[in-house]
Amino acid sequence: MTSTAVPGTTGAPGVRRLALSAAMLAPAGVVTLALVVAPLVLVIRNSFARTDAYGNVQGGFTLDNYGRLADPVFLKVLGYSLGVAAATTVACLVLGYVVSYYVASRPPQRQLGLLLLIIVPFWTDFLVRTFAWINLLSPGGPVNSVTDAIGLTSGPAGWIPSQGASFIGLVYAFLPTAIFPIYASLRGIDPSLSEAARDLGCGWWRVHGKVLLPIARPGLLAAFLLVFVPTLGVFVIPVLLGGGKDQLVGNLIVTLYTEFRDQPMGAAVSVLLLVLLLACLAAAGVVTRRLRRKA
Amino acid sequence: MTRGKPRVHVMDRISAWLARGVIAFLYVPIVAVVVLSFNASDVTYRWTGFSTKWYAELAGDTDLLATLLTSVEVAVLAATLATVCGLLAAMGLNRLRSRFRGVFMAGLFLPLVVPEIVLGVALLSIFGALHVGLGMGTLVLGHLVVTLPYAALIVFGAYGSLDPSLGEAAADLGCRGWTAFRKVTFPLLRQALAAAWLLSFTISFGNIVMSTFTNGVGSTTLPLRVYSLLKGGLTPEINALGTLLVLFTFLIIVCVGVRQMRQVLTGGNRSPQ
Amino acid sequence: MRRSILATAVAATFLLATGCGASGSDSSSGGSSGGGTLHVYAWAGEIPDSVVKGFEQETGIKVTLDTFDSNETMTAKLSTGASGYDVVEPSQYSVQQLIGQQLIEPLDHSRIQGLDNLAEKFRNPSYDPGLKYSVPWIWGTTGLAYTDACVKEPVTSWKILFDQKYKGKVYMLDNMLASYIAALQVTGSRATTTDEAQIARATDALLAQKPVLAGYNSTNYAQLLSTGQACATQAWSGTSMAKAVQSDSNVHYVLPEEGGSIWTDGLAIAKGAKNVDAAYAFINYLLRPEVAAKATDDGASASANEKAREHIKNTDALKNAAVYAPDESIAKADFLLDPGPAIRHFQQGWTKVRAS
Repeated sequence: MTSTAVPGTTGAPGVRRLALSAAMLAPAGVVTLALVVAPLVLVIRNSFARTDAYGNVQGGFTLDNYGRLADPVFLKVLGYSLGVAAATTVACLVLGYVVSYYVASRPPQRQLGLLLLIIVPFWTDFLVRTFAWINLLSPGGPVNSVTDAIGLTSGPAGWIPSQGASFIGLVYAFLPTAIFPIYASLRGIDPSLSEAARDLGCGWWRVHGKVLLPIARPGLLAAFLLVFVPTLGVFVIPVLLGGGKDQLVGNLIVTLYTEFRDQPMGAAVSVLLLVLLLACLAAAGVVTRRLRRKA
Repeated sequence: MTRGKPRVHVMDRISAWLARGVIAFLYVPIVAVVVLSFNASDVTYRWTGFSTKWYAELAGDTDLLATLLTSVEVAVLAATLATVCGLLAAMGLNRLRSRFRGVFMAGLFLPLVVPEIVLGVALLSIFGALHVGLGMGTLVLGHLVVTLPYAALIVFGAYGSLDPSLGEAAADLGCRGWTAFRKVTFPLLRQALAAAWLLSFTISFGNIVMSTFTNGVGSTTLPLRVYSLLKGGLTPEINALGTLLVLFTFLIIVCVGVRQMRQVLTGGNRSPQ
Repeated sequence: MRRSILATAVAATFLLATGCGASGSDSSSGGSSGGGTLHVYAWAGEIPDSVVKGFEQETGIKVTLDTFDSNETMTAKLSTGASGYDVVEPSQYSVQQLIGQQLIEPLDHSRIQGLDNLAEKFRNPSYDPGLKYSVPWIWGTTGLAYTDACVKEPVTSWKILFDQKYKGKVYMLDNMLASYIAALQVTGSRATTTDEAQIARATDALLAQKPVLAGYNSTNYAQLLSTGQACATQAWSGTSMAKAVQSDSNVHYVLPEEGGSIWTDGLAIAKGAKNVDAAYAFINYLLRPEVAAKATDDGASASANEKAREHIKNTDALKNAAVYAPDESIAKADFLLDPGPAIRHFQQGWTKVRAS
């Protein structure tokens, strides 16, 4: 590590430090306050509002929107969504870890090329890719030909629409979102570390379990957030690949906002989802902290 | 050391093959897109013969190409802003060790926990209330909201796995501020920053929902255009565009990329394995 | 020193992004003061490029055409009051809602020529009597599509979509109002009803239907029919259905004997439009028969302009029921209107159906 001594710029270090930190936090802070927190306050406000005959938010105060949430219909949608999101997240994290480890253990000059290789498919429009999947999985399509050839099926068979196709589509869509953060945190690992562990007689599983996974934890946590939560909001894939009979909560909110023009109700569902997720995250935080303390 | 070739564990081999398999899996639909782009048929689902007519049609479709340009502009701006903001925030937070840190991070990740359409509609109302004209500016801001958590999480993750003693060591050696950043932090974060930028770019480039509510006159993006074509059925022209995008990127990787990127990204201080 | 450079650079990037946006929207709305640009917001694919180019060439007015995929998105944009659009293209029930919310301007008929080119049925429609606010541009129907490859009986009724025999092979449109057209008509009501009991009966029909369905789909149903994944689907006439009917002799599009429905998408001037003169010029241009014919020739949509028929070169389209539904078949079709407060009954029912 090279280092150059800078002629001391003296002053009150504490104040300067604080001022500099504030300046660094300012851009992200301003964006968050103005473009996230402010709209969110509006959403929360609107979840208590009434609408006019055209669905325009009229103000006022009512708990009706939350009252209507007591309908078991919403509970069902929420439960199903959480299940789908959990399954997608597990698959993405496992595959994402494998790919990230592979990329991070290549020679450094090849890593960026590999990252590009992973991301390029996603520069083709999302709908175009989804329609490609539809064509692939349709009866008489390429996948059908392969399964025919190896004797899995005989004659036309299709996998569209199905929960399986929807699952493939979701995993496909969120894989890079999982790979990138995990890679970013594995990236800083000194390759000699795992070699050293191995030389000390640690088996493969132990090297990964005891050395690499803990280092990748921030990345894995990030990947979890980036996959689990957005999956709840997905609405095109379940419709096109899954047939649209089973609604995800994202689909419900989109319907409420667009087709129904019922912003307050949509806002109420969103607020409920928000509270639920934050509670889950807080619980997860508490649990991991406990575990870490015990370990 | 008198070791010959390092022993490769069988699980290493299996996981490497699995990783290659996953990367190949990402290309499955792309292959289909490429093949279908040469389909003579008007509809994407039936093969009637080889043709390059969709490429000719694409070349003449200035509107579609204009939306592509809009998308690239927005994605580059949003990804750059998101990465810079994310990096600054990671560095700024690293210097603060207080409860404020948690609050700030929670705020930063809020957009992830709120369905995009909800944020989009709320942003639209706010822009409306402030009489901000909808256009490229609002579109970029909307995309910044969507991409910032991704960029920030990646940079934070990379920052988190850096050795915390590094910065202190640098500071002890009198290496502070800009110099410490340039000489110590940045080289170590280069690849994570590239990853953050790439993912942000990709997310912005493919965004539909936020674009729907924050775009305005003359700022229709490619995904919006494609999405609105759905009702009438996608034309194979779109497959041709997808094919060209993939091809174009590969060309960049092969021609310009490899050598220079190596220099830019690995710098001199990391020796190859 | 260096730190402040960094801070300045960050601030500059920020200003650049926002400033960029400001100048971007300035240049687009600034054009309006010169009278040289017209901002049009329309359904994707319904105003062909050839029409836009022709108008630009003739008048020297520059047109920006942005597209939307639902009336609700368009309404959300207009209701901010800062959308910047001059001409919009709402569907019929949306025209009613936009009038109610005062988001579109009344039309000055003295500035419009060619309204009598329109087909009789669109000259005084129930959603906008006297065409005070909108000029119908294209029209279409909500009906039923099926393929002979799978269905071996004559198809005349919505009932096929409720038939156990085709379990897992039928689709409904993923759209509340469209689904209720079928459900209301199949249970003996009109699609325009606002009666709670009738709507409840339709909801029950939809609930009972759900196990029979393969899914809800309003995007690639034509593909599903043509590849044999679906036997019958609820369908909108227009581009994708027209293509499927034309390219596959097994695929047919009909209006059911219960009626089905008709819709129109028309041109209106947005509240606060900056370039009203150009907007009228655009509407007048689109009312010309030879221009309206391009909606069919280049866009595969049915033109509301009766006189356009003589100018249509693609005569196959005139005979294609998925573009121009024959007159006798639309005799019983309902014109779907804004249900007003009764929308709540539809919404509650539809939420239950989709979540069940």
